[in-house]
Amino acid sequence: MKILLRLVLVFALTPVVYAQRVNLDFPGLADKAREVVDVTLDGALLRLGSRFLSDTDADERAVRDMVDRLEGIYVRSYEFGSDGYDRSAIDAVRKQLGPTWKRVVSVKSKTRDDVEIYTDLRGDKIVGLVVIAAEPRELTLVNLVGPIDLDKLATLEGQFGIPRVSKKGDRQ
Amino acid sequence: MNLEHELRAALRRKSPAPGLAERVLARAHEVPERRPVRRAPWAVAASLLLAVTLAGWGAHRRAEGERAREQVLLAMRIAGSKVAYAQQQVRGISK
Amino acid sequence: MYAILEARDAGVDTLQRARQGDHEAFAEIVGSHESMVYGLAYHFFQDRGRGEEIAQDVFLQLYRSLDSIESPSHLLFWLRQVTSRRCIDAVRRAKIARPVPLEAVELQSVIKDADPFLERKLRQLVADLPEAQRLVITLRYQEDLDPAEICRIVEMPINTVKSHLHRALTALRKKLGDH
Repeated sequence: MKILLRLVLVFALTPVVYAQRVNLDFPGLADKAREVVDVTLDGALLRLGSRFLSDTDADERAVRDMVDRLEGIYVRSYEFGSDGYDRSAIDAVRKQLGPTWKRVVSVKSKTRDDVEIYTDLRGDKIVGLVVIAAEPRELTLVNLVGPIDLDKLATLEGQFGIPRVSKKGDRQ
Repeated sequence: MNLEHELRAALRRKSPAPGLAERVLARAHEVPERRPVRRAPWAVAASLLLAVTLAGWGAHRRAEGERAREQVLLAMRIAGSKVAYAQQQVRGISK
Repeated sequence: MYAILEARDAGVDTLQRARQGDHEAFAEIVGSHESMVYGLAYHFFQDRGRGEEIAQDVFLQLYRSLDSIESPSHLLFWLRQVTSRRCIDAVRRAKIARPVPLEAVELQSVIKDADPFLERKLRQLVADLPEAQRLVITLRYQEDLDPAEICRIVEMPINTVKSHLHRALTALRKKLGDH
């Protein structure tokens, strides 16, 4: 009886978290693009991919630590010709983000991507991430579903043999 | 960065869509391209079953797993680089 | 040595059969060289459709010119030259507008090595080069040809080829911030 009571209390007090998958597929983008990167990994396929990450490679272990807690990874990246693309897709992504979503970063650049990062916050935990990176001839949309540590995600820039950048812009 | 190395990688040979020779020969003789032979559905199903059995489920699973692993790494690298770039801009990192 | 001779004989034999109207032999020749021909055209225009169009035209021309092909090595030279000529002709006919200014794809030097799209950006930068530089760079780095081989294909003096290569690499390095 006591065990049952404890179980009821645990379920009652644990916030129910529904992670949201965002639709990243819009008509006219893939058809117009010269090159497309399309990644959809969730459920069994995500678990399978995670199992095949190397145990002996420190970088892949770090990726697996992040990925094991995710429910889904969705990436669409398009490269276009000189005609560019219809930017209404960006608004269409933003419109799907409900009241629990917050824009945490917005970068505007004349020479590189405009980048927006949105997180789905439940309490103090991030349970979803959307990244929109837009250049005149490239559009990248990322949706990660599940608990995410943004700082750890950013360190993946320093993985795979890629130099890290310190705050002063010096290579390490 | 070794520019010549990167150029070799960026400009490596690229395959066209399959069937280029057929398309060329079709133009040469102005005949319609050969249509794929349509098999009865049951024959297709039987062939697939046989192929999977012969190839071995294990080998298939390994290949699928490797592809999924590559996709995981690609996706996380893309996500990580965009987040890192945004963070660097916010923290005022200059060129 | 025996294996090399055998492969060379196979190439000669395939060519001979293709000349005699053997479609399978012709398809073998296309299969052996399609990634080279299509690759040159694709990288020149950064466009799959143009690449396919030019590749088809080149192989169609080959089909009609098989009698003039003397050997497998001549075939390779012929394909590279005809593809190069067709790329340049297509640009001049269509008067293709210059693509987006390079500033739009300028790389941030501190993380250029971290950019997963470096290859893609490089292809864009190459596609933005003037046509002669673009062709020479593509022949050099896709086909690994030296200036002497390139000048025979594009029918330019060797110093002109070297000059195009030098200018193209300088322009690419400048845009990549690598000085």
